[in-house]
Amino acid sequence: MSESPSRSIAITGMGAISPFGEGAETLWQALRTGSTGIRPLRHERAAELRVRVAGQVPESFDPTAHFSERLLPMLDRTSQFALFAANEAITQSGLDFKTGSLAQRTGVVVGTGVGGETTQDEQSRRLYADNATRVHPLSIIRLMTNAPASQISIAHGLRGPSFAVASACASTHHSIAQAAMMIRTGLIDVAITGGSEACLTYGALRAWEAMRVLADDCCRPFSANRRGLVLAEGAGIFVLESMSHARQRGATILGELAGFGMTADAGDIVAPDSRGAAAAMVQAMIDAGLAPQDVDYINAHGTGTVANDATETAAIHAAFGTHATRLAISSTKSMHGHALGASGALELVAVLGAMRDSMVAPTANLDQADPACDLDYVPNTARAMSVRTALSNSFAFGGLNAVLAIRASA
Amino acid sequence: MTELPSSDAVRDDVIAIVAKQTKLDVATIHADSTLKDLGVASLDAIEVIFDIEEFFDVTFPDQGTNFDTDTVQHLVDAVMAAQQAKAAGADGAT
Repeated sequence: MSESPSRSIAITGMGAISPFGEGAETLWQALRTGSTGIRPLRHERAAELRVRVAGQVPESFDPTAHFSERLLPMLDRTSQFALFAANEAITQSGLDFKTGSLAQRTGVVVGTGVGGETTQDEQSRRLYADNATRVHPLSIIRLMTNAPASQISIAHGLRGPSFAVASACASTHHSIAQAAMMIRTGLIDVAITGGSEACLTYGALRAWEAMRVLADDCCRPFSANRRGLVLAEGAGIFVLESMSHARQRGATILGELAGFGMTADAGDIVAPDSRGAAAAMVQAMIDAGLAPQDVDYINAHGTGTVANDATETAAIHAAFGTHATRLAISSTKSMHGHALGASGALELVAVLGAMRDSMVAPTANLDQADPACDLDYVPNTARAMSVRTALSNSFAFGGLNAVLAIRASA
Repeated sequence: MTELPSSDAVRDDVIAIVAKQTKLDVATIHADSTLKDLGVASLDAIEVIFDIEEFFDVTFPDQGTNFDTDTVQHLVDAVMAAQQAKAAGADGAT
């Protein structure tokens, strides 16, 4: 496996906020010990809702401790999460944007499924429930989908291309791929990228109820008794840089973004198609110069719905052939829930953690074998094993598939 | 206590709702037809469920039902059960 220097991208920082609290390390330590971040729904109207559980960022997260009194009124919860995670990732990377011209050569690409849903919900309530005639003057800049990316750009003085990518539950992976392509073409040297989601509002919860895809107790990916997904929130942000840039400055490299694949099913808008998912995995391996037998681990999309888990299993069989049964596969959504546009970011933390610690996080709550899910999902207990290369799968409503291929740093 | 509608009346209403969504003639929809037989894909099925819930002002449980493979009669039974549960709740000595 030879890596072409111009195509090779280093991950040199990561930050996260998740149902386990603040920090990427907090998230990873919880996942590798099989802990759950899924709790009874915390909401002022929880008693009326049929949504019973969710993976919510704990109440201990205090925005006033992290953001100034002047900045805070501009930040929807989605931007608060993104900015918190970006600050952590940038600090870890050790990059200095204040001197030299690096800030001009740094972009920001942040994915979100729905953007400023909390602001939208609060202001709609003022208008339609309270019959107010005025909404908060910062409503637009809070709720715009690019707010998380722009807030990161402003906070760190990053002057390269900055924008949002929206592809529902694949938003993070599509964002990271966009950022990687800009680095590959030489447009930028560094990208701050990932995903953020905070949409557990009354309106959004009611809308999810109506889709009838939610489990009412816990998330059981690949288990015969799985009952659906569990909604969550959070953010994960990463620092990507060209490998040559990272090596020149002697950065600690957490992993290499070796390739990616993106496809659309172009069929049903919600029912997944194994062919689209398999094609994205194959593309990611080809882009990374990997053969199926080079891959050790897949962090699965694994939502815990009847349709996803069986379809994803079929897709892995199609993409990997006989090597499928030798892969370690786990769905960490079983523990952090489905943070929609941010889910891929929380899961990439799990991939980088697995590579660093030689420990794959388990699929929690997998207690009943399903003949349609016949692979090794690392049930219930973390597994000590070397992870040299891994795929991270994200699939989305809209029939969208985005897969990242990650290689451990040499 | 208000009289609950008869099974026949509920069935006629359910069939009318399904007919509207599927654009089929009511005469072609029978109690033992499944939504799948009627060509209702998963996303259309949850719309049918929504329309039925709105019409009868009931809420179906999330679990224990597969609306793709269940029959029209099953939907009728689910409406009757939900109405009974609602009536019992309203008449309860709370």
